[in-house]
Amino acid sequence: MFLNLDKSSAHEFPCTMRHRQSLPALLGVSLFLLAGCSLSPLARNTASFSSAASLVVDNTQNAYRTAVRLNEEAQASLLVARFDSAQPMDPHSIRPLIDDKGLKTRTEVLNGLQAYAQTIADLSNGVSSPKLDEAAAACGANLKSLGDALATSTSIGINVSATEANAASTAFKALGDFLVNRQVRSSVPKVIHEMAPHIEALANLLSSDITTLRDQSGRDYEQLLAQQDSFIRHAGSSLSATERRAEIERLPRILARKQATDDMLGELQTSVRKLAETHHALAVSATSKDSLSLQARIADLRASAEGLATFYQSLSASSDK
Amino acid sequence: MPSNKPSDKKSTLKPATLDATPALSDAEVLQTFKDPNTIQAYRDLYDALGRAYWEASDIKDKDTIQGIRDHIYEILTDLNIEKLQANTELFFALKSKIEDNNDALGDIKKKIAKITKNLSTVASVISAISKVLSLAPSLL
Repeated sequence: MFLNLDKSSAHEFPCTMRHRQSLPALLGVSLFLLAGCSLSPLARNTASFSSAASLVVDNTQNAYRTAVRLNEEAQASLLVARFDSAQPMDPHSIRPLIDDKGLKTRTEVLNGLQAYAQTIADLSNGVSSPKLDEAAAACGANLKSLGDALATSTSIGINVSATEANAASTAFKALGDFLVNRQVRSSVPKVIHEMAPHIEALANLLSSDITTLRDQSGRDYEQLLAQQDSFIRHAGSSLSATERRAEIERLPRILARKQATDDMLGELQTSVRKLAETHHALAVSATSKDSLSLQARIADLRASAEGLATFYQSLSASSDK
Repeated sequence: MPSNKPSDKKSTLKPATLDATPALSDAEVLQTFKDPNTIQAYRDLYDALGRAYWEASDIKDKDTIQGIRDHIYEILTDLNIEKLQANTELFFALKSKIEDNNDALGDIKKKIAKITKNLSTVASVISAISKVLSLAPSLL
C-alpha cells in the first residue's frame, strides 16, 4: 500500500513521486527474480524428465500388449496345427503370457512412475500458480477497494491507484512464488533422492521382463512362420494359385515383423536403462547446480523414446494379421 | 495254495522301472528347468530343430521335426510365464514404495496449497475490511 499525496503537495516532493512510481515495479521485478532464478534448473530438468519418462511408460505398456497379443497368436496357430492330430490341443490349456493380475500390477507401477514424474515436474514448475495468481490479483484489487473506502469514509486521504494495486498484486504473487519455491526446493530434491533406489529396482525389473519378452517373441514368430509354412504345404492344391501366392508372401513378412519387434524391444531395454541413469543424474543435480550432463542424458532418453513411439505406430500399421 | 495276492512286502515296493528312474515331483521338474544351462540347452535344441525343419524337403519329416519343436516351445513358454509371474510379485512389492513416495509429494502439494490459501486469506481479510468501511463509514 502506498500513500497518495494531495496534488497540492505533490510538487513539494518531486523525488518522492518519482520514487513512488518506480518502487512498485522495482519491487515486483526484484521479487520475481528472487523467486524464479534459483529454481529454474530444477523446474527445467524435472519437466524434461517427466516428458521423457511418459514416453518410456507408454512404450513399455505397448510392449506388454504387443508381446501378449503375439503369444496369443502363436498359441492359436499351434491349436490349429494340432487340431486334426492324434493329440489335439485343449484350448483351455492356453495360458496368457502375462495374466490379468500381472498386467494390472505392471500398469499400476508404470502409472505410479508417470504420476511421480509428472508431480515433481508440476511442483517444480509451479502448476498451482493459477490459484496463486487469483489470490494475488484479489489482494491488489481488495487493497484498492480498501483505499477507496478509507478515502470516502475518513479524512486520512489514503488512495490506491490502479497501477499501485497491480504492483501490490505482483508483489504478492512474487512473495507467493518465493514461498512456494522455497517449499519445493526444500522438499522435492529429498523425495527425488529417496525415489532413486526404487527407480533403479524398477528399471532392473522392466529390463528382466523385456529380456523374457524378447526371448518369447522370437520363438512366437518362429512358430508362426513354421505353422504358416506347414499350412501351405498341407493345403497343396486346395489353394488356388492366387491364394497360394498370397499365403507364401506372408512368410517374409512374418520374418520382418520378428526382426522389427526384437529391435523395438532392444531399444526399449536401452530406454529403460537410460531412464534410470537420467533419474540418478536428476537426483544428483537436484542438490547441485551442474546439470549439463543431465541435460545431455535427458535429450538422449527423449530421442530414444520418441523413436520407439514412432516405431510402434509403424508396427501396428504393418501388422500382418 | 499260493496266493495271487502279492505279499505285503512286495506291495509296498514300487515297480522296478520306477525304482530305476524315480519320478520327479512337479517342483523338482520345475527346479531342473530353472537351471540356466538346461534352459539354454532347450533353446539351442529348438533353434537346431528350426534349422532342420527348413532344410528338410519331405513334408512328413517336417511334421515330425515341428512336432518335437512344438513341445519344446511349450516348455520354454511355460518357463517364461513362470518368470513373468515371479516378476509380478516383485512389481507388486515395488508398487507400495512408489506409492509412498507419491504420497510424500502429495504432502508437499498440500503445503503449497496452504501457502496459496494463506494469501487468499489475506485478500479476503482486506476485502472484508473494505466492505465494512463502505457499509458503515460513520463508524470511523
